[in-house]
Amino acid sequence: MSIYELMAGTLYDLWPQSLRAFAPELALCGAIVCVLLVRVVLPRLPVAVWYVAMAGAAAALWLILPDLTRTALGELSGGEIFTGMLIADGYATVLRAFFLAFALVFIAFVQASKLLDDDADATELSVLALSAVLGMCVMVSANHLLMVFLGIEMASVPCYVLAGILRRRRPGSEAALKYAVYGAAASGVMLYGISLFGGATGSLHLPTMAHRLAELLASPAAAGEATLLIVAGLMLAVGLAFKLSAFPFHYWAPDVFEGAPAEIGAFLSVASKAAALGLTMRLAVCLAGGGAEPSSLPMAAGVGEQIASRAASPAGSDGRERVMIDRERTAGGENAALEAHAGTDRPALHDRAWLQASLAPARKFLYSLLALLAAATCTLGNLAAYGQANIKRLLAYSTIAHAGYLLMPVCAAVVAVGNDPSAARSAVAAMLYYLMIYFFMNFGAFAVVAAVRQAGGDERIESLAGLGRRSPGVAVCFAAMLFSLVGIPPLAGFAAKFVIFGSLVRTDLYLLLAIGGLNTVVSLFYYLRVVRLMFLREADAGAKPLVVPVFSTAGAYIAAFAAPLLLFFVWWDGLLAWAEAAAMALV
Amino acid sequence: MDWASKIPTLLACAWLLPLASFVIILVGGRKLGRAGRGAAWIACGAIVGSFCLSTIALAGWLWINPLAPPADHAHHGPAHASVSSAPEHSRERPAESSLHKSPGSPTAQPLCGIWYTLGEFGSSRVAISYYIDGLTVAMFVMVSLIASCIHVYSIGYMHEELDEVTDEAVRLADGRRLRRPGRFHRFFQHLSLFSFSMLGLIVAGNLAMVFCFWELVGICSYLLIGFYIERSAASNAANKAFIVNRVGDFGMIVGLMVFWAGLGTLSFGDIRNGAGEVVEQGVFSLVRPEKADHDLVIPEGLVRWSARGEISQFARAQAAAGVPAAALPAERIEQWRSSGWGYGLLVLGGLGLFCGCIGKSAQFPLHVWLPDAMEGPTPVSALVHSATMVAAGVYLTARCFPIFVPEVLLTIAVVGCITLLLAATIALTATDIKRVLAYSTVSQLGYMMLALGSGGWVAGVLHLFTHAFFKSLLFLCSGSVIHACRTNELTQMGGLARKMPWTAVTMLVGCLAIIGAGIPLVGGLSGYYSKDAILAQQYVFAAANPHLGWMFYAAAIGAAMTAFYMFRLWFLAFVGKPRDAHVFDHVHESPPVMTGPLVLLAVLAVAVAWHVPLTHWGLEPLLSQARPLGIDQPEFRGLMLASTTIPGEHLSHDASVHTSAALLAFAMGAAGVLLAAVMYAARKLDPADVAGQFPRAYRFLLNKWWFDELYHFLWVRPTMALSRWTAQLDQRVIDYVWDSAARGVTMIARLDDWVDRRMVDRALDRIADAVYRLAIRARGLQSGYVRHYVLAIAVGLVALVVVMSLYWSNASAGW
Repeated sequence: MSIYELMAGTLYDLWPQSLRAFAPELALCGAIVCVLLVRVVLPRLPVAVWYVAMAGAAAALWLILPDLTRTALGELSGGEIFTGMLIADGYATVLRAFFLAFALVFIAFVQASKLLDDDADATELSVLALSAVLGMCVMVSANHLLMVFLGIEMASVPCYVLAGILRRRRPGSEAALKYAVYGAAASGVMLYGISLFGGATGSLHLPTMAHRLAELLASPAAAGEATLLIVAGLMLAVGLAFKLSAFPFHYWAPDVFEGAPAEIGAFLSVASKAAALGLTMRLAVCLAGGGAEPSSLPMAAGVGEQIASRAASPAGSDGRERVMIDRERTAGGENAALEAHAGTDRPALHDRAWLQASLAPARKFLYSLLALLAAATCTLGNLAAYGQANIKRLLAYSTIAHAGYLLMPVCAAVVAVGNDPSAARSAVAAMLYYLMIYFFMNFGAFAVVAAVRQAGGDERIESLAGLGRRSPGVAVCFAAMLFSLVGIPPLAGFAAKFVIFGSLVRTDLYLLLAIGGLNTVVSLFYYLRVVRLMFLREADAGAKPLVVPVFSTAGAYIAAFAAPLLLFFVWWDGLLAWAEAAAMALV
Repeated sequence: MDWASKIPTLLACAWLLPLASFVIILVGGRKLGRAGRGAAWIACGAIVGSFCLSTIALAGWLWINPLAPPADHAHHGPAHASVSSAPEHSRERPAESSLHKSPGSPTAQPLCGIWYTLGEFGSSRVAISYYIDGLTVAMFVMVSLIASCIHVYSIGYMHEELDEVTDEAVRLADGRRLRRPGRFHRFFQHLSLFSFSMLGLIVAGNLAMVFCFWELVGICSYLLIGFYIERSAASNAANKAFIVNRVGDFGMIVGLMVFWAGLGTLSFGDIRNGAGEVVEQGVFSLVRPEKADHDLVIPEGLVRWSARGEISQFARAQAAAGVPAAALPAERIEQWRSSGWGYGLLVLGGLGLFCGCIGKSAQFPLHVWLPDAMEGPTPVSALVHSATMVAAGVYLTARCFPIFVPEVLLTIAVVGCITLLLAATIALTATDIKRVLAYSTVSQLGYMMLALGSGGWVAGVLHLFTHAFFKSLLFLCSGSVIHACRTNELTQMGGLARKMPWTAVTMLVGCLAIIGAGIPLVGGLSGYYSKDAILAQQYVFAAANPHLGWMFYAAAIGAAMTAFYMFRLWFLAFVGKPRDAHVFDHVHESPPVMTGPLVLLAVLAVAVAWHVPLTHWGLEPLLSQARPLGIDQPEFRGLMLASTTIPGEHLSHDASVHTSAALLAFAMGAAGVLLAAVMYAARKLDPADVAGQFPRAYRFLLNKWWFDELYHFLWVRPTMALSRWTAQLDQRVIDYVWDSAARGVTMIARLDDWVDRRMVDRALDRIADAVYRLAIRARGLQSGYVRHYVLAIAVGLVALVVVMSLYWSNASAGW
């Protein structure tokens, strides 16, 4: 493909398709620039930086809202943008909206919790949070391994800094350093994996990779490349597991959560995790043979000419054509490649049944890897949470354990992609639903920790003793969040666990189900320990008063996080149906 | 102005205003003004507002349905009516009978409609609907007017409740008197709820709604009678009223079920849609269809119900003959109807409904609750036991009159007659001022029932209205007396007229009104008109049914007794020497807030039955207009008791009947008053001597015919014995069985506990310990050194590669 065609194709679909779909991210970029400029150009502007940042996030959210409603109606056409680097389907739209909403809530929350009193710090935090969210948006809409890597780095690097946002606090700086070093190492491994993978399959474009992989596995020479593929896949998994804080790449999490302020903990545990999961789900489903139907592939017979002709006369095309950034395998250029492929006697590339049949070993591998990770992460997270004395550390392990629960529907989706698309779809929906509920319960829990800190408490779990008497409203809300994290019925956490376990049942993953169930029982212990402390133990005689009234900004925030837990238990179907609509795009 | 659409709205507002007041007081309570004083103003404002709206509605009603001049009663044909068993027969008659029907005003079309549909079950529906005719609007005005007077009066009467109250009648266990916070606002809260319930009962457009408000009225009376809940007499009386009413309501439910099951509707009137077409036929038009000229016809629903066996047989026969299922031929229905199928159901339904009225209107044999209910504050007695609650039974009887067959009407008449005699005799000897009035109320209610049962619809309802005014006046006067004397006993009063002139005069007016004082054939106080009408109807009834002539004499004697006990009361209280100097010294006239309503009610008690001067407009023409269609037939015979006819009311307007009745009533009243004057004012005859002459009769009457004792023996004691027996059964047998079972379970549990502790727990503890140690070890993985962490990436990756490769090489063999 000539550079001319590439340029023409890029220009051709840039305006009508790509930029329009990318508008929320552009708004976010604008917001970042504005936040920086406000500090520089108008240092005396009375409007706090917070509001500029919030306005930016709100604008981005507003831009994505029309797509969101179309997702709910199943109308979003969805497709690859930027010549296939990104994809803007319903699944990505829902997750992007989730991140944008999260950014809005997060900035408002940090502002309300009075973590920072310096305006300069506020600028930094806003810029960092917004750019991390930008990275997350790229992560969930990545359709190309380069974008995957880029997204992960864009999301991670601001997080390293966020962990140390309180510069004068030693534990914070230590946490940031550990996070950065660990992250760098993980990125290195992942990049190696990406290059190996690219080398083996000859493409970094996900749907293309899936097809190449299918060809490889179908050909009798597969056995030779199997080891290479396994190593590449595992290295790729290391990067994702780091973001997910999945065992055995979770080591950074407890130290970072303990060192960073609770607000940042909320950011890392909810948004960062959601992005990593969204990406993992897309990668896994794509490589398992699901995913969006690639609208065109350069090696398909006749497609090259089509692209050429349409690039020459853009008005005559339907605007859904893609030009692949593709490492040509054969030195002879595209036509030679086409001829070479035309010579082989394999079925047409668009035959999905063939694709899925060929990818069965890959599915088996993915399923085994994900199940292993899920089970190990879940178990380790729950066990290690037992002995913690610091509430943030406890929540860090709880986060790790939840990463395990959240990997289970990914596993189920991979298994079901081959034979039961509706089960796969409901598994994807289960993960999305769990993420939305997880947002309320986990963010709420960190918000309580932040509120207690602002009220003068410390981060030892013991210091929560007697909170039920000192500030009953907040204690009840916190208890509701903890019960929801366990998954006890009248709360949304139960519904979320229920749909996840339901997806496991539909795909016959009974061993994983048993592990998940046992872990839920185990997790009861350490969550209820906190509840017991709050309600059944009196405060120590010398303890600080530690009063967080419900009728205060912090109290209102906490209540606002607790209320949806009840609401979404009642309005269970509505949210789930919406998630199912979003999952249509993926499977 | 389109009054027909405004009147329901006006009445709805008038009905809901007291509810709003109730809610406000319920929420605001003691915070409304000082110690809840504001509650009184809210309640009074609401009920006065209701009165104004009702008056406007009445004006609107008269605007669209002007009263016709009284018809000429000279012509009465020999038409005869009975339960139409042959429709051909009734179809022949319209031309003829239209001459004889509705001799008074032409009956106005009632307004029926639905405010809100609660639910629909197939073709049946339960709705908040209305049925508005002259009776409804008149009742609305009467109830809201009397309730307004009583509300205002209560501001003065209940003022003690504003502060902390020391209840003299209640002794605590340690001998001290009960002190409790005042409940001023609570009183007005209940009054408002009561007004709401009563108005709802009146405006209700279907029997189900009537039943709901019927029960609400019962609950309100329970709350008000038991207002001094700490007094055991009051709480017992409240319980008694409630329980006795439940007995009546049982019958009422039976009646409701008959109509609901047989007719599929409980609505009174026809519900029409916007275009004026009937969408749902009401009970009235089903029982008295227009095409049968409003004669009573057994409705098809009841016929089908009672012939259901035959109908299913018919269907089976058709199926056996291989004929496709066809509708039942109409002739069969007519055939069954003419042979009286379903008539028994109509009797049963009517008797059931009347059963409820017996309870609510304190008729024999359920009259026992009303005298005890005098334990409530006197304004409550005035409201509950004159104009509203007890009137509800009479109102419902009048409302449902079109669906009552002669057998039911005869039952009503007999029950009313017995009640009026029974209560009047007890009132002769009662010494508690409020109990005299209570028995008088029972007796007057008996009059109303008697009038209704013997066909005098207007007479009975007119008496309901006039009685409401003078009896509330009498109760309020007695309240004024009690308020001043702090005792109910007539034996401690005497000569009060000097100290309480207003009360004495207004009470005298009330007494004159209740005995029906007036100049025969010219005019008189309100009671004169209604009592005359009742006696005239009795005269006609006795003429038509000679074997029931004793009812006429009973009514006449009752009139004499009424005159005697009312004036006995008045003489004892207001005339002569004070019998108790201590009481007399503290007596004072009541404040204007109490005497004002007395004067207003006295004026009404005199004049409420008068025509507007120089016109033919008045209460009686309004009620004549409200008389249901088709009930004023010269003769009305049932299928079961064919020997009894219910004569039409227009017969009693005959001049000769009227003259005899008026003279007789005057003579009886005068005799009673004279005897009372001789015994209690002039003291020519010592009452004690008279009582000594007939000691047994005196004791019999003083003990209220031993009714309480009889019921205690018949019902209460067996019930208590049964309850004791079941309690014993419960304790001795059932508890024993359960205790043994529980002991057995405990033993098993102990064994289980032992197993659990020794075996399961130990094992579980081991596991838990192991898990905990593992968990602590897992925590130990976290060294805190970043170099370890980064190393862990490498180690982890290598481990994963090894694990997965092993897995792969093992598993891929199978693929």
